Order: sequence, then C-alpha cells, then structure tokens
Amino acid sequence: MSSATELSPSPTHAAGGYFAGIRDVVVLELKQRLRSRGWYIMLAIWFVLTGIVTALTWAGWESSRQARLSYMPSDASLAMNDGPGSVIFEVVLAFVLLFALLVAPALSANAINGDRAGGTLAILQVTLLTPGQILWGKFCAAWIAALGFLVASTPFLIIGVSLGGMTPGHVLVALLMLAVELAVVCGLGVGISALAGRPLFSIVVTYLTVAGLVFGTLIAFGLGVSLSQGTMMANQAQYRDYVANPSQTMPEYECEGPMREVPVIRTERVAWMLAMNPFVVVADAIPYPDRTGGTYGFSGGTMESISQGARHALAGPEASQPCANGKTQPGYLAQTTPLWPLGLGLQVALAGLMLWLGWRSLRTPAKKLARGTRIA
Amino acid sequence: MSAGPEETGVPTPGQTPGEPGIRATAVRRSFGAVHAVEHMDLHAPAGQVTALIGPNGAGKTTLLLMLASLLAPDAGAITVDGLDPQHHRAAVRQKIGWMPDTLGVWESLTAREILTQMGRFYRLPAAQIPERVNAMLATVRLADLADQPARVLSRGQQQRLSLGRALIHNPTVLLLDEPASGLDPGSRVELRGMLRGLAAEGKAIVVSSHVLSELDEIADGAVFVNRGRTVSQQTTADAAASGRRYAVTASNGAGLLAKLTALGLVFRQEDNRRATVSLMLMNDDDAARLLKELVLADVGVISFAPATGALEETYLNLEARTA
Repeated sequence: MSSATELSPSPTHAAGGYFAGIRDVVVLELKQRLRSRGWYIMLAIWFVLTGIVTALTWAGWESSRQARLSYMPSDASLAMNDGPGSVIFEVVLAFVLLFALLVAPALSANAINGDRAGGTLAILQVTLLTPGQILWGKFCAAWIAALGFLVASTPFLIIGVSLGGMTPGHVLVALLMLAVELAVVCGLGVGISALAGRPLFSIVVTYLTVAGLVFGTLIAFGLGVSLSQGTMMANQAQYRDYVANPSQTMPEYECEGPMREVPVIRTERVAWMLAMNPFVVVADAIPYPDRTGGTYGFSGGTMESISQGARHALAGPEASQPCANGKTQPGYLAQTTPLWPLGLGLQVALAGLMLWLGWRSLRTPAKKLARGTRIA
Repeated sequence: MSAGPEETGVPTPGQTPGEPGIRATAVRRSFGAVHAVEHMDLHAPAGQVTALIGPNGAGKTTLLLMLASLLAPDAGAITVDGLDPQHHRAAVRQKIGWMPDTLGVWESLTAREILTQMGRFYRLPAAQIPERVNAMLATVRLADLADQPARVLSRGQQQRLSLGRALIHNPTVLLLDEPASGLDPGSRVELRGMLRGLAAEGKAIVVSSHVLSELDEIADGAVFVNRGRTVSQQTTADAAASGRRYAVTASNGAGLLAKLTALGLVFRQEDNRRATVSLMLMNDDDAARLLKELVLADVGVISFAPATGALEETYLNLEARTA
C-alpha cells in the first residue's frame, strides 16, 4: 500500500478542478445510462415514430398536391412553388418538441433521488466532490442523454429542409432551440429530483410542471384574457369586396367614420404567460421568410401560426383591433418584436430556481433533511 | 455553486495538526420529532480499532454519518485529526474513508471502473490511479473479478468492493458500518486481519457491528450506545477485567453440581439439551484453577469455555440495565 504523501490530491487549478469534477460525474452517469437497454429501446422507438410521422406528412402533402393539380391544372406553378419542406419541417419540429417534452422528465427526474434510494448518492457526497459538481454533472448527463433523441430526429428535420422551402439555418435554429428546451426540462427534473423524496413523486411532479408549461400557460392565458378587459379608440372597418382586391396586396378593409371608444381585450398584459409555453418559444425563435410586404392571405405552417398568434397577443389590441386609432392593421406581424427571449428567460428562471433549491438540499454536512429521506 | 476556498483540498497554512484520530463530543442530532442521537461521545485514537456497539435503532448509523461529515450535528463537536468538518470540508473528506451499511454499488460498472471513478472523485493524481486501483483490487481479493459488472458480484464481494472504495484514497480515519454482515467466515477472518493491519499502519478505525465475538478479537476499545446515548466507553482489557461467563458441561451432571457447590461458587443451570451450567469467573487464572479442580473431581468435563465474549457480556448487562 502506498504512503499518504504519494496519494495526496493533484494540485489542480481551482476552476479546472471544478469542471474536472463535473466531467467525472458525467462520465460516471453516462457509463451507467449507456449500459441500460431502456435508453436504446426508447431511442429506437423515437426514431421509428419520427420517421412514420415524417413519411405520413409527406404522403399527405403529396396527395393533396395531386388533388389540387387534377382540379386546377393551370395552377400548377402556384402549387409547386412552396414545396412540402415547410410543412414537413414544421410538423416534424412540433412532433419532436412534443416527444422531447415527454422524454426529458423520464431521463432527468430520478437523477438524484434515484441514487439516494440506491444508496449511491452519499458515496459521491462523501468524496471531495462539491454539491455543485454533483448537481451540474447529473444535469449535464441527463441533458446529453436527452440530446441523443434530438440527434436521432435530425435526419427528418434535414429531410424537411431538403424537400425545399427551408434553409439549413432553420434546422440549426430549430435544433438549438429544441436543445435549449431539453436543457430547461432536464434542469427542472434534476432540481425536483434533488428536492423530492421518492423518484416516482419527482417524475410525476416534473411531468406536471411540463404540462403546466404546455397546457397551463394556455389555460392561464385564457383566464387572464377574460380579466383583461379595456377600451381603446377606433373607428369602423369597411370590408372590401373580395373581387375588388384580387391581388391581395392591400388590406381587406378601409377605416371610415368617427373615432369611438370600443371595448377590447388587453392581451398584452397576460401575453407573458403564453410566452412561457415551450411551443411558443421554439416557434417564435425560428426565423420565417419575410412575409410583411407579401400577401395578406397568410399561408404559413403550424409553428409560424403559433408564433404569429403569440405575437398578436403580445402586441395587444393596438396591433390587432381593426382600425385601432383609425389605421388599418398589417395582417402579418414582422419578426421585429420577438417573444421568445421573454418566455425562455422565465423558463430558465424557473429551472434555475429548482436547481438552486436542489443544490441547497445536496449540501453536506446536511443540517436539514427532507421529510422521510435518509442521507444514506 | 463554485469551489470555495475551503473546498480546494489544501489545509490553511500554519494550521496546527490536531490530535490524530476522530473525536465526537456531546453530539446530538434529531430528525423532526425523532431524537436519533441525544448525547454521544466517542473517541477513536489513531492506530486503534474502536468498536461501536449498540442494539438496532440505538443511533449508531446516525453517529457514523455525522463522523463521515454527511450530517451536521445539532449540537456538539466533531474533530477529525483535530479539524472540524464544517469548516475544513475538503481536508476532512480526504482523511475519511466511509463504508456505509447500505452497499450502494453502481451496478452496471465493473469493480475496476468503480474504484477508478472513486480515485478521480478524490482527485488522486491521474497517472497513479490505475496502479492504485490494481493494488486495491488485490487487497480486497477482487482482482479476478475486476472486469465483471458489480451486479454479478455476491453480497460478500460487493462488501469487499465497498471496503476497497473506502480505502482508495488511503484515508487516516476509517468508518465501517456493519462491515462483517453478509461475509462468509473466511472473509470475516480476513477482514479482521486487514483491519488489524490498517490499525498497525496508524489509522483510526471505527467499526459498528452486532457480531460481538468478532469485535472481541480485533477491537482495542468499545463504545456502547443505546437509545441515542453513549452508555459506556471502555477498552477491551477493561471489559475482560470485569469478569467473563464460562459454560461448563459434564457427563456426570450431578457430580458437577455437587463439586461446584462444594467449592462455594455461584452458578446458573442453563436450559440446554445437556447438563450445562454457567458461572462468572474474574480472570484466566480462576478459569484454569477451576478446570483443574473439575478434572481432578472426575465429573467427566466435556466442555469448558467462555460462554460469551467480553464485549458481549458488557452488551448484555447494558441491555438488562436499560430494559
């Protein structure tokens, strides 16, 4: 057995040592995850499902194009110019995000209390690792495992691009935002798993939190809207004949008559709730082609509609009420007032709070323990 | 969440090295309404094996968790080689090797990977880790199973792996929570030898166990705890000095009873299958003399041996007193 002096810890630089500790925890976690078959099975199911969704979307678009061509052969050029790319890309993106939100809690929300139950957390805590290193290591490992799913769905996002209409930039931004959303959910999961006593409980709480972000924000926005009544000055909108506006380049109406006070809903007061929705964050961050000068008949896909809807809510009646202050409104809001930094900021704040509370519960020597938990 | 100055693992310069070993003074710890440890004192000096003995639920594991710097005591003080775990976290962690009662192995990792990871977590110099791990695997006799996933190891093998994990960074204080449970007799003898060897190297060793006969052989001192309190702290020599119960069996039961009565000894008839009596003898000389008398009386002595270990005697007295 070697003597104590030979085995003294290497005098690493403090900051370098901190990251080395995180890396060591990540290595330990990933070795375990990569050796469990469950992860590979989930990955395979994910890959097949995403493939099926992509194929069906493409087939659906193709059959509707065929139908349009047979119905209106002269209109072939119009039907061709958009390409299926945008539709496939957006459907696949929405689907991948949905599945990412479903998978990430399962990968992260037992990271700490699962180890606590298995008796292996205290083994880490008794070493020179700090609570922060353990927490960040667990978080990074959960995130890397979740990113595997994103990598598995990349081919289908690329198919969406290659079929036309989109640029590689779209894929990059979309993947980046999906990765960030996964990080938020993994952060929530790891933080909650450090706080809750039992893995089952923390997984359920994490799923409910994600459901809160996806559906709760919609419900809260809906309820908030009904409480945000207000008034503004506007005059009457006179709608044109459709025939009189064949080019669709002018607004569909003109504003006439005296300005009056009209009841409106002040959606901008509660739009921040909508902004926290992961679908809104991802949809809003993607740079869509500039349509402001183009047609008034807006024909974007699902994600673009989500983004536009949320931006209308944020802009409030000043931008959405026809003839607000006697002016016509653009049918399409420019990408100049992004909503996603607000929503992402709120999400990161929430995940950060959970991680901070989790970090507090990992400190040793522990003063307080959560009810019903043992340190080892 | 950053590495504070006290967490860099380097003790403050100019710090006087304190008394070697581990000491707990008047520690108290409760979990909500449960007073797991009400008032315990423990001193495990360097170079000695100190047994921590008490019935289930006495607070042994809680005390060991506090000694291992995982739990903070509500009151009282703990020093490891003179350092307070609250303020010298990293320095104390480097000195402590802890083997928990729950095994807690990473099941999908191999024994070699587990020990390597632990070496990294203790920031051993990377170049020395493989060699150190090999040496440790040999020490705990897992060299031929080193590349098997830990889940295929038997309980006793996992126990040995857990011991290796606690020793990987060559700590000066070793805290073992029920190390002998689940070990076969051969491994117990081996563990005994290993602990004596580690104590001879100058380590302070605290062992909690129920298997008191084991502790008799290896412990230099014992701390008896019950209901969250230290009931007595004594050395094994002290324990032996307070007398030991011997069991005597003879083929001529009536003759045995007559001889003992004639010698004026206080004895107790045991309700065993055979005619066995037990009696307290103060020391080895008394035992030798009595055996000689009985053999000369020709009562047909079949067995003549200590009925209990010295520590067990104290333990049973303790239970009788507190019951």
